[in-house]
Amino acid sequence: MSVRRSPKLRPAPWDLAVIFAVLAFALACGALVWGGGTEGLTAVVSVDGVEIDRFALNGSAGERVYSANGYALTAAVSPDGVQITASDCPTQDCVRMGTIFRSGQSIVCLPARFILRLEGERETNSTGVDAVIG
Amino acid sequence: MKLTTKELTACALLTAMALGLSYLENFFPLALAVPIPGVKLGLANIVTVFALYALGTGEAFLILFARCLLGSMFAGNMNALIFSLLGGVTAMAVMAALSRLRGLSVYGVSAGGAAAHNCGQIAAAMLTLGSTAPLYYLPLLLGVSLLTGGLTGLICACLFRGLASANLTKG
Repeated sequence: MSVRRSPKLRPAPWDLAVIFAVLAFALACGALVWGGGTEGLTAVVSVDGVEIDRFALNGSAGERVYSANGYALTAAVSPDGVQITASDCPTQDCVRMGTIFRSGQSIVCLPARFILRLEGERETNSTGVDAVIG
Repeated sequence: MKLTTKELTACALLTAMALGLSYLENFFPLALAVPIPGVKLGLANIVTVFALYALGTGEAFLILFARCLLGSMFAGNMNALIFSLLGGVTAMAVMAALSRLRGLSVYGVSAGGAAAHNCGQIAAAMLTLGSTAPLYYLPLLLGVSLLTGGLTGLICACLFRGLASANLTKG
């Protein structure tokens, strides 16, 4: 088979620029979406982009079962966090995600189009208005 | 684009190999070690990188499109098409641009493509789910993509070396 262009086959110094660019982008994204607080958390559950449940983690200990696009997902809730303990989806990524306990964290189940997202006090109470004066 | 019979046959063979590698990937579930939705080795990217250099950008796009379409049809899951297409086309566009830079090796091109593939897939997840929640996984996926992209680059480098030493890269 003829090869139109032959690539460099040994790692080149400029490859580091690609690696640093990807790492910088990852860190910038991480700073944007991670690092939320752990107090006053509210879990927001949505299927197909439509919110179907919302509850505060404090005082909601127990199990909740959701049905989403033909799949059943069981969420175990405690004041320390929430996790999906069982799902009949084929990938099981949502179960393997483990417990989420910080504002901004989410558990996504792609086959069920299900999202369980934690919101902190600031996001939950936000009205979108900083102050009303006059 | 006009293809000779030889080029068309090469495209068909590479599409079949990409589909085979996509299937083979199911036997190495990276998600068991890194529990993030959508995380995988990206073995089919070996074919994309190879086609980009060996055949050209247009042919590589044709192979990618055929692989995404046939892969979704064989899996019986047309919902997966938007994920594989957005991921694949983003990766392809970035790799086509990076491969023009003389300073980069196949490792840098492949790692950039793997990172772009994850960005495309997260965009697809955001579109499908109607939420920005999948963005939470992007930093981790980008970190993993450097390793998987490096692995793909290594396999491609071995492939080109093997073809050259077997004198199969001419004619």
